[in-house]
Amino acid sequence: MTRLEIRNLSKSFGSLRLFHDVGFAVAAGETLALAGPSGGGKTILLRLIAGIMEPDEGSILIDGKDVGGVGPEARDVGVAFQNFALYPHMTAFENIASPLRARGTETARVKERVTEVAALLKIDHVLENQPRELSNGQKQRTALARALIRRPKVLLLDDPLRNVDAKLRYEMRLELPRLLAVADCAAIYVTQDYREAMGLGDLVGILRAGRFEQIAPPAEIYTRPRSVEIARLFGDPTINLLPCRPERTAEGLQVEIFGRPMPLPLHFAAAEGRDCLIGVRPEHVSVGLQNGPGSLPFELNAVTPLNVRAVLFLRDAAGTELLATCPEDDALAFGRGHHRVFVTIDTSRALLFDRENGQTLALPAAAQPLAA
Amino acid sequence: MASKISGGAVLRAAARIIVLLFFLFPIFWVFLMSFQTNQQILRIPPSIFFTPTLENYTALFSGRLQTASGSLDIAFIKNLLNSIILSSCSVLIALILGVPAAYAFARFKFRLGENIAFTLLSFRFAPPLLVLVPLVAYFQMIGLSDTYIGLIWVYQLICLPLILWIVRGYFEDISPDIEHAYRVDGHSWAKTFFKIAIPLARPGIAAAALLSFIFAWNNFVFALILASADKQPVTVGALAFVTSAGIQYGIIAAAIVLSVTPTLLLALYAQRYLVEGLSLGAVKG
Amino acid sequence: MATATLKGRPTLTRRPARHRLLPYLLSLPALLVCIGILVPFATAVAYSLQRYNSSLPYLRKWIWWGNYQTFLTDSAFWNTVYVSLSYTIWTVGIELLLGLAIALLLQRTTRFNNAAAIACLLPLMIAPALAALMWKLMTNPDFGILSYLVGLIGLSDFRWASSPSTAMFTVVLIDVWVYTPFIMILLLAGLRALPRQPFEAAELDGVPASFVFFRITLPMLMPYILTAVLFRLLDAIQQFDIVYAMTQGGPGDRLMVFQVQAYLERFQYLNVGRSAAFLMVLWLITFILSNLFIKNWLRLRERARGAV
Repeated sequence: MTRLEIRNLSKSFGSLRLFHDVGFAVAAGETLALAGPSGGGKTILLRLIAGIMEPDEGSILIDGKDVGGVGPEARDVGVAFQNFALYPHMTAFENIASPLRARGTETARVKERVTEVAALLKIDHVLENQPRELSNGQKQRTALARALIRRPKVLLLDDPLRNVDAKLRYEMRLELPRLLAVADCAAIYVTQDYREAMGLGDLVGILRAGRFEQIAPPAEIYTRPRSVEIARLFGDPTINLLPCRPERTAEGLQVEIFGRPMPLPLHFAAAEGRDCLIGVRPEHVSVGLQNGPGSLPFELNAVTPLNVRAVLFLRDAAGTELLATCPEDDALAFGRGHHRVFVTIDTSRALLFDRENGQTLALPAAAQPLAA
Repeated sequence: MASKISGGAVLRAAARIIVLLFFLFPIFWVFLMSFQTNQQILRIPPSIFFTPTLENYTALFSGRLQTASGSLDIAFIKNLLNSIILSSCSVLIALILGVPAAYAFARFKFRLGENIAFTLLSFRFAPPLLVLVPLVAYFQMIGLSDTYIGLIWVYQLICLPLILWIVRGYFEDISPDIEHAYRVDGHSWAKTFFKIAIPLARPGIAAAALLSFIFAWNNFVFALILASADKQPVTVGALAFVTSAGIQYGIIAAAIVLSVTPTLLLALYAQRYLVEGLSLGAVKG
Repeated sequence: MATATLKGRPTLTRRPARHRLLPYLLSLPALLVCIGILVPFATAVAYSLQRYNSSLPYLRKWIWWGNYQTFLTDSAFWNTVYVSLSYTIWTVGIELLLGLAIALLLQRTTRFNNAAAIACLLPLMIAPALAALMWKLMTNPDFGILSYLVGLIGLSDFRWASSPSTAMFTVVLIDVWVYTPFIMILLLAGLRALPRQPFEAAELDGVPASFVFFRITLPMLMPYILTAVLFRLLDAIQQFDIVYAMTQGGPGDRLMVFQVQAYLERFQYLNVGRSAAFLMVLWLITFILSNLFIKNWLRLRERARGAV
């Protein structure tokens, strides 16, 4: 069931058009992770949904009801602000209890609920402290608790992990999906960190230059990005991008990279004869010590372990660089690099982008059918 | 080895003493005078050694002075009461009018607001007589002349700009998100104003209130022009003493002491806000 | 599931009127006070363009620039300009030098210096009219302690405010006593807010103290000095309380500053039009000064807010 729906939303500040004709829908229990560069209007979008600002045009529907003109106090939205926005003159307990107090919940019930949520967020031992006595992590959890406590219909999280240290951010990234599942609300999670967006969102939306470039499940964003920028932003290590021009030959559709023609699957036919960028994910580059059919000679420059995988930094004779990944155990064979290796590229799973405007020209065959 | 104190340090210490002497001696001397009889005051040479008397103060409080030539009515306590009424009511009204306006100017950027704020500020520096002289005529027309209400209204000229500009600064320092968060929690605008904005700006409101009380108390020209004898505050009342015949110097001194004590005590109490208040919020102490 | 852009009728959302009216509603009282100032102000402008003596109301008539034109050849007017300007220059000049000196003297945050700064502030908290009264008691020829003290050093007939030759000196002295603390406390706050690094660097380099003062301290203190001085200029040119309480502009016309002159014109000679013209000239001066002041003051204010 659609909980939150945005239709044709536009907002400008003077001559600056923040976004135009934006629309999407989020169901209850679903999380939309909003990613995009800062200044892209993500925070403004949250403010519009919360009722802190009013849009120039378009409508916001919560449970099918247009909330235009309804003040923030009547929208049943929970917000965790980026700068926490705790009330400095109240204890953590009173901060968290505030949404319940606004509803006139009876004292005993307030205490019970606050204790419950505080325990869930592991801040039950600091409830009597003032915000200035809390660590950044505790402040952030207090702000989250305040947003969650009355089980709002819509939960808006504005980059809640931005102002906390790396360790806590890691912990929270694991914890948040559980919290969001408990809350059972339509959640929008704003972040500048693309990995965070991929990890937390049921859907990932990329807001760039005032419009949604793509809204899709994380896997689809990764395998079927709408543009070269999205392909570049989502993926760690980043995708390899090489200029190319697909041509039809006797052997079928081919593309010349690293001075060698390589076959392209037929669904790339649309790109024939155009200036393209071919995108190859590092995991589609396999590296070996033995020369084989179709393999290219490369100099291995460095090997960097990354969790369970290793990243290989490669360079061909012409100096063009290429990234590859392989399981960490396999990387042992490569030592510390600086020697000749042989590389095969799986072009069947490559991506093709228009070199002029960065739009995706052809996509690899979908593993599952496209979302409606 | 003997510790050597440099000549510069001695000079600086001496300078500090002279400075303190210059600023404090007049207060000290008038304080002493207020406990002296006319005979003691007229002694040559003057001396700081004398048997103190409270007769000046008792005369002020009883409102009657017995002299050789008969008895004299003194309305000073009435003046003191007027000062208290005028200053505290003016501050109270200025707070009621000024704090919401300061909030509006801090939170909503609108042209009318800026215009009001700067008009009030610039008239804070305009000659008060310019507004007062025509006001005399208007007050006569609408029946406000020589009333507390009329005076309190005029006192807003002093209190309102001060409160508006100092409190505005404090409101601007509160992150708007704190108020937004409270709204989102489900509280009304009014509740947010009273439970978040006001408590967080309280130091500024206190500072502005104390300062405007001091300035209202110390004002002279408004009451000189607009108030008749029974509405006059101490500043005008004490001056009238000098010209009234047969008054004793000790009584004038005692009246001055009683008139300045409230502001001096308030200043000592509010000392950490004084710099900010005196500069209308531009300099933080 | 999400879809990219849902097509639908674009609706224009509108805040209820009360939300947009809120700021105006909140500032309504302040607006009324503003009007309460601006209406009399406009009336004063009108007065200044009229021949209007309240004892001869039937002669009241528009004479436009008439009042101002007579000023050009009116020695009383030029005396007022001269007295007001010299009062302003003397008081603010001395207060600046003295205030700066005392601020430097008390610059280090020691308990004694802090207490001394507060003690020095006390005259500023006394009503200027009452301060004048205090000095009147101290300069009384019969029993005034100051009259006695100057007598000791041989000035037996020093008449303070009652003599034309020393009246200006006396009121300037009182003004200095009352208002030096104002400049001092602002400059002290400014000095204590200055960043330390330039001074530490200068000390390491062995730069002479006079160079540090004129090339580092003074320039960095300039915004504070400007604000304090403009504030004082604005007050001093309009001085009323001290002069009125001391001598009501006398002896003769020796201390006839603008506002005292205007007051006497209005309430003694009942010449409303001429009084208003005096005030308009004064207003013009303060208007120019206050624009300068507000510019400086806003800059300083932003700095203070930014430091939070």
